[in-house]
Amino acid sequence: MSKFILPLVALLFFISESLFVTLFSGELYNSEQIFVPRFIMVFLVFLTIYGSRKMGVIYGFILGLLFDAVYTEILGIYMFLFPILCYLISKAMKVLQTNLFIVLIVSVLFIALLEVAIFEVNVILHFAEMSFSEFVEVRLLPTLILNLAFTILAAFPLKLQMEKFELETRED
Amino acid sequence: MPQFFLNKRLILLLVSIIILVALIGFSLREREKVSWPEQFLSDTIGFVQNVFHKPVTSVAGFFENLIDLQHTYDENRKLKERLDEYVTLKTQVQGLENENKELREILGKKDDLREYSPIQATVIGRNPDRWHEIITINRGTNQGVKKNMGVITSRGLIGKVKNAKPFTSTVQLLSSKDPKNRISAVIQGQKEIYGVIEGYDQKRKLLLLKRIPYNEKIKIGSEVATSGIGGVFPESLAIGTVEEVITDQYGLNQTAYVKPVADFYDIDNVMVVERLTPSVDEMDESFSNQEGDETP
Repeated sequence: MSKFILPLVALLFFISESLFVTLFSGELYNSEQIFVPRFIMVFLVFLTIYGSRKMGVIYGFILGLLFDAVYTEILGIYMFLFPILCYLISKAMKVLQTNLFIVLIVSVLFIALLEVAIFEVNVILHFAEMSFSEFVEVRLLPTLILNLAFTILAAFPLKLQMEKFELETRED
Repeated sequence: MPQFFLNKRLILLLVSIIILVALIGFSLREREKVSWPEQFLSDTIGFVQNVFHKPVTSVAGFFENLIDLQHTYDENRKLKERLDEYVTLKTQVQGLENENKELREILGKKDDLREYSPIQATVIGRNPDRWHEIITINRGTNQGVKKNMGVITSRGLIGKVKNAKPFTSTVQLLSSKDPKNRISAVIQGQKEIYGVIEGYDQKRKLLLLKRIPYNEKIKIGSEVATSGIGGVFPESLAIGTVEEVITDQYGLNQTAYVKPVADFYDIDNVMVVERLTPSVDEMDESFSNQEGDETP
């Protein structure tokens, strides 16, 4: 039974992004700022740090593939970025201590990295016509604030869940 | 140099970058159909989204209704004022419709670009990264949805079907920034002026109606609708009203800023419209070729 919990949680995070956007689009999105939920990335950060690197990379790949196929319909971008970022997180955590505050900072940092990378890809593919400063003002900062709030809310339950999962896999 | 090739991680990275570029190229080209793994993934996720969507939106809808209740009094008063206008308008429309029908019968013309059959659908998802404004609806090819069909809400046109899968489809909104996202439109008035809806001003929340001949005089506030000459869309689906007109960089064309009638953010129920008049493929092609020539 417990084997299915992690994929279910992952699926829940995956769907929550689109639900968030459909629900709050009326209120949040009529403003000039653009808030992008990056809940999957938060999930991956916690999975990589409190679970294992291998798990993080595999889940990053699968969730990225789903994201590309279902939401953006351009294959490859998220499928490539999520595993790479997970790998980098695990490298970064070798230097840093694992406490909740540091994890918060790391997750915000990597969400920023993801946003910038996606922005650059879209500029190359001509889906975006923004200057970088405009991008920071309109997209990056609101997105970071939203996701920081989400991370603070979700941090403790996520951490517990991941640690439980890690224990179970070790016992196996 | 051999050491460089021995680095397994570096090789892995390089190979994955090559695959990445290939995949992006694969998915960006014009394709009639999405590949079956994609179809399978989207439909499976679509099923789960469908399950989650209903309860969540009904809870959210309840709170929205509570907020709406506060404005009921004002709205009611305004609506009553409008009602008188409506009655006269209705009789007028009735008369015109009858006349139109009679004239058509005299001419023996059966096809009407205006006629369409709607397919009702519910929005079950939206692309969270808002670079591509794409929504997912719960109807697919099994229900008759095809690529490039127009999608409307009760207020007006919102976009077109980007890809249709067996049980779900994705809709690209008019506000999406994509060079391929073009819709032939007409400014209604004494004289019909044609143009192409192309692009969206994110800051001002206005659509851009481009390629209007430079000598046309456009009244601010005139209605913009689909022209039906693009091949797939029916005629006169409402798009918006003209807000501002500017001359292009070289003075050869004009661009009108159009305020959309439909709300691109608060979308819940939509209709996919299928034009009853079949499009002539050759005509279609020559039209798109013309369009292609105009682009620099």
